[in-house]
Amino acid sequence: MRHPKFVAAGTLALLLAVAASTTAHHAISAKFDSKKPTTLTGVVTLVDWRNPHVHVFFNVRDAKGTTLNWAVEAESPIDLQEGGWSADTLQPGDTITVQGIAARDGSRQVWGNSIVVKATGRRVLYVTPTPPPTPLQARPAPRWPDKQPRLGPIPGGAQGYWGFPTSTVLMEAGSNVKMDQWGLLANVADAPKVAPMQPWAQALYINRQNRFLQDDPTYLNCKPPGGPRQFQLRYGVQFVEDRERQRIFVLIGGGNSNYRIIYTDGRSHAGQVGGDDDNPLYYGRSVAKWESDALVVDTRGFNEDFWFTNGGLPHTEQLRLVERFTRTDFDTLKYDVTIEDPGAYTRSWSSGWTLRWVAGEELPRHLCQENRP
Amino acid sequence: MRRSIVFAFVLIAASLAGAPAGAQEGHPLKGSWIGTWGPSKVHSPDILVILNWDGKTISGMINPGTDDIPIKNATLNPEGWVVHFEAETKDKAGPLNYVFDGKIDGLAFHNRSVAGTWKSQRESGQFKIQRQ
Repeated sequence: MRHPKFVAAGTLALLLAVAASTTAHHAISAKFDSKKPTTLTGVVTLVDWRNPHVHVFFNVRDAKGTTLNWAVEAESPIDLQEGGWSADTLQPGDTITVQGIAARDGSRQVWGNSIVVKATGRRVLYVTPTPPPTPLQARPAPRWPDKQPRLGPIPGGAQGYWGFPTSTVLMEAGSNVKMDQWGLLANVADAPKVAPMQPWAQALYINRQNRFLQDDPTYLNCKPPGGPRQFQLRYGVQFVEDRERQRIFVLIGGGNSNYRIIYTDGRSHAGQVGGDDDNPLYYGRSVAKWESDALVVDTRGFNEDFWFTNGGLPHTEQLRLVERFTRTDFDTLKYDVTIEDPGAYTRSWSSGWTLRWVAGEELPRHLCQENRP
Repeated sequence: MRRSIVFAFVLIAASLAGAPAGAQEGHPLKGSWIGTWGPSKVHSPDILVILNWDGKTISGMINPGTDDIPIKNATLNPEGWVVHFEAETKDKAGPLNYVFDGKIDGLAFHNRSVAGTWKSQRESGQFKIQRQ
């Protein structure tokens, strides 16, 4: 113990290496086992305040009197800051009691359901995402001078974005399958009820489920969340309508500062992106038109390098999406999607949910970092 | 100063150690596969297999550009991820019908592989190909 910084650095590096080789940013269930409840008390040695998850390292003395360095994993810095916490909330030397669930791989890591400072009894580093309160009276959707609905803020009004989707998982409308917010099925036997998958796609979906979604390239490799998934992530989306150039930009809060372009100028799907005309894309090629108050977007040309849903439903390059965006009132955006992919599904199928307008806030800027546990 | 350098080095080494490969998340057989098939007096031990999936049929080619052997009757049984394909060509001695039977290993990974056996009228052996 002559060089405690070396020990801390070595521990941190070891944990990072172990974790990075298995899962980077992840669904909690990908890395931690809810059937392994764990309570630990120890002294904080280091607070690693970085995306995608904050880690607090702390020394725990085991039954034999040996001191072992553990890591407790918490939510992202964005979420924690939103909850009023900062990198200084915990200091080296603080004694904490952690209640959580242990890592599946047996490493000294725990997901922190509760972190309590012993000296004050205060629970810290937790988040309780709450959607904006529902207005007492629904406000009408804002409109452009030509009466077309606006998908963004009103001119001169407060900024805002769309968040808090009513569903973070994709399944066929009418299905009632239990899964967690990351798309992990409560019962894998329910897989056939999620969507009309071809046998290979269903087997691959089950394989991903049985691996607890740990191979999700959106988290493992920071791949963009193309398809309906962009509207089911935690950090929301923002629409920027460029009516002069007849296109709509979709800025994706959970997509590592990605954006998607929806063209409304009547062009076809081919040859829209200079230099990348013939390559399939993460967000595909989107063309749209207004049908009454709904923006109807037709998107094709997806690549196969990502998962288009939380939970790992497969898709192929034949994927085509028809999305309908309807701002039913000022604070509500209805999203309906029809999925056609004869490469992976036996027929087309649909789903839908709504998003809430988060007024007065900028789109959260989440930056994915590869190889971070 | 020295400690800081060591600390930075350890962190960089740790982050590089776990760098994952990219992914192909569609049909598990789609893509380019490189490997070996042998032993043989007829063909070289190296093999390049291109496979595609159109939603109904797996098609492809063995050694495109050199042998150009089209693949036919290709199937993937998701139960056990069992792969079967056939290929027809000819050499100086006459027609050659190849039959490959294998299994996908490392399904979740970009560099998954297929290993198994191949046979023709005159030879047989093992093959292993890895997705590029």
